[in-house]
Amino acid sequence: MIRRMKWRLRSLQPNHHKNNQAEGQGETPISKDIELNEKILKERLGIGTSFDVGVRKLDILGKEIQIYFVTGLCDIEYIIEILKELMDLEARRRRTDNVKEAIENHLTHVQVEYKETLEDCIVEMLSGLIFILVEDEDEAFVIDVRNYPGRGPEEPDNEKVIRGARDGYTENIIENTGLTRRRIRDERLRHEIMRVGVRSKTDICIAYIDGIADPKLVDIIKKELENIEVDGLPMAEKVVEEYMVNQGGNPFPLVRYTERPDVAAVHLFEGHVVVMVDASPSVIITPTTLFHHVQHAEEYRQAPFIGTFVKWIRFFGMFASIFILPLWLLMVLEPNLLPDELAYIGPSEDANVSEFMQIFLADVGLELLRMAAIHTPSALTTALGLVAALLIGEIAIEVGLFTSEVVLYVALSAIGSYANPSYELGIAFKMIRLFLLVVVVSFGSIGFVIACTVIFLMLARIRSLNKPYLWPFLPFDVRELWQIAIRTTVPNLRKRPAIVDPQDTVKQVSE
Amino acid sequence: MKKLGKFYHYPFPYSKKNTPVKYKIRKKFKSMKESFHNKAGDLMMEKDWSYHQKVASIGFFGGLFWSCVSYALHYLNFTKYGPAMAMLPWALPEWKNTYLGHLAGIVFIALLSIAVAFLYRFLFQKFYSIWPGIGFGAGLWILVFYLLQPLFPGVGPVNSLDTNTVVTTLCLFVLYGVFIGYSIGYEHHRLGQESA
Repeated sequence: MIRRMKWRLRSLQPNHHKNNQAEGQGETPISKDIELNEKILKERLGIGTSFDVGVRKLDILGKEIQIYFVTGLCDIEYIIEILKELMDLEARRRRTDNVKEAIENHLTHVQVEYKETLEDCIVEMLSGLIFILVEDEDEAFVIDVRNYPGRGPEEPDNEKVIRGARDGYTENIIENTGLTRRRIRDERLRHEIMRVGVRSKTDICIAYIDGIADPKLVDIIKKELENIEVDGLPMAEKVVEEYMVNQGGNPFPLVRYTERPDVAAVHLFEGHVVVMVDASPSVIITPTTLFHHVQHAEEYRQAPFIGTFVKWIRFFGMFASIFILPLWLLMVLEPNLLPDELAYIGPSEDANVSEFMQIFLADVGLELLRMAAIHTPSALTTALGLVAALLIGEIAIEVGLFTSEVVLYVALSAIGSYANPSYELGIAFKMIRLFLLVVVVSFGSIGFVIACTVIFLMLARIRSLNKPYLWPFLPFDVRELWQIAIRTTVPNLRKRPAIVDPQDTVKQVSE
Repeated sequence: MKKLGKFYHYPFPYSKKNTPVKYKIRKKFKSMKESFHNKAGDLMMEKDWSYHQKVASIGFFGGLFWSCVSYALHYLNFTKYGPAMAMLPWALPEWKNTYLGHLAGIVFIALLSIAVAFLYRFLFQKFYSIWPGIGFGAGLWILVFYLLQPLFPGVGPVNSLDTNTVVTTLCLFVLYGVFIGYSIGYEHHRLGQESA
């Protein structure tokens, strides 16, 4: 509601948007007077004020040329090569009428473009290209000599596998598209690039396979991205996600992230659309359902039987991480619910602190510990682990703060949530668990049943990018659910998942 | 394509654009009856057949899954009646009160649910939303616990049941109704999109 009102307010100020454009993106054609160009550029780029933007002037065949660059983003080797060639041209002193053509023929690089406005040149220069202005000419040469600071592909920390490819996406979008293409040598793989962000002009790449991905979906994602009008995207893919899907107050992750090119390639083949944002190694896989978050590359690197086994252990862990604590608390508070066979459950000794407070403290303490572990330098993590294990595990019981049963169940549910391949989903489950605990302690078993029902219905209602979130469980599809429950062998997998509305539904033709 | 707003969810299921499709299907259905060997008609028939297969599987597995859940909840004493309740009206030997009764009840409910799914398909198939499912489930609950209650020996009238049982069974029926209703609505929605 508030968002809608804000949106309305924005649309009521028609000048706001236009002014912004006039300031930032008016068209200034390149003048034939090179000194005028220089003056404008000097003022707009702050040459002399910022140290990393510079201009190099040369006199070639009696005409002045100016080379504009950003030091941090160019490969100096290439620039030196180009300068050498131009100086060589000057040294030979072979007079010609067409200086522009002579210079053009001596640009020793494959990627040369021609631009007619200063704005185009500036955007290119700030992305790490250089542009060359020539006296008495109204066209600039733009040469791609980019070399971004960055690291090589490494195995992502949170998606490790025992066997298989060890490369991962990096912060460089060009390298990332390369890593994808290494796996999909299909001429129909499309990498559409666009610039988003009024000031940051961040590159965003939409990857999909033409002929498989649903064109309607691609259109929608493109429209959503084009509608972004923010100054910058420093938090890269997370910002893009928030524009693409309507998250609201829902804690569940609506898109899946991966840093593994093989995972991205699998999803591209299935007909998903992948969105890469420059300066971030995580790419967005969309559309996503809840069950996309419970799968892991490891399952597909093992034998199908083992993969299925791993899957089911993980499902059990995730189920336990949500329900084991609320159910235990319920059984403690209402012991008449316990079946006779399970009568031993429940604290045997009387505790000083109520069970709910124990669980709550232990759970929150664990979350604190996790946060502390992220910020602790790795040399000190052992010490932290020791302190944590001793404090919570041993001494808290001896002091009489916790009973040992509480520690056991809190630990079980924590392990269950760490077994979750998606970090975001693990956190969402934790929220659900805390909510259920509060409901159980306030309303007992009736509250528990109603809360579970309501949570289920809320999840069923979510439709991000018009795909039902609990598919294939709800709406039910037996064949697709089977694929999630059981890791089938690849030769048996003949169809792409229906959720992405693939144009070509058949993955492999049966003989 | 028209301009898309911020709050745009594509393509809204019952926009005017989609409604005629439904009639188109019906028309095709009629013409199919007239000329049985029409190729388009054959295709329609095939689609219809797979749609009905889907409906049947939705019903079967919905019944299976939710009656298993009800067995689990019965085991944890949330509700007094497990799936064996479905076996109460039948004159069966003593085993109907043991775990065998629950297993038989699960199978019976799964089979019965196929009929329930087709009932939903004929009543509300065009709604692609969870609300009719909730209503449908609640309606089924009222049907079972108010109208058919005399059929179940040992199950008293609703006001004599404990709150736990009432709330749990009602929630289960609602979830069951949503499972069947939303799934069928979705399949029907897709069918409409495919022929569009």
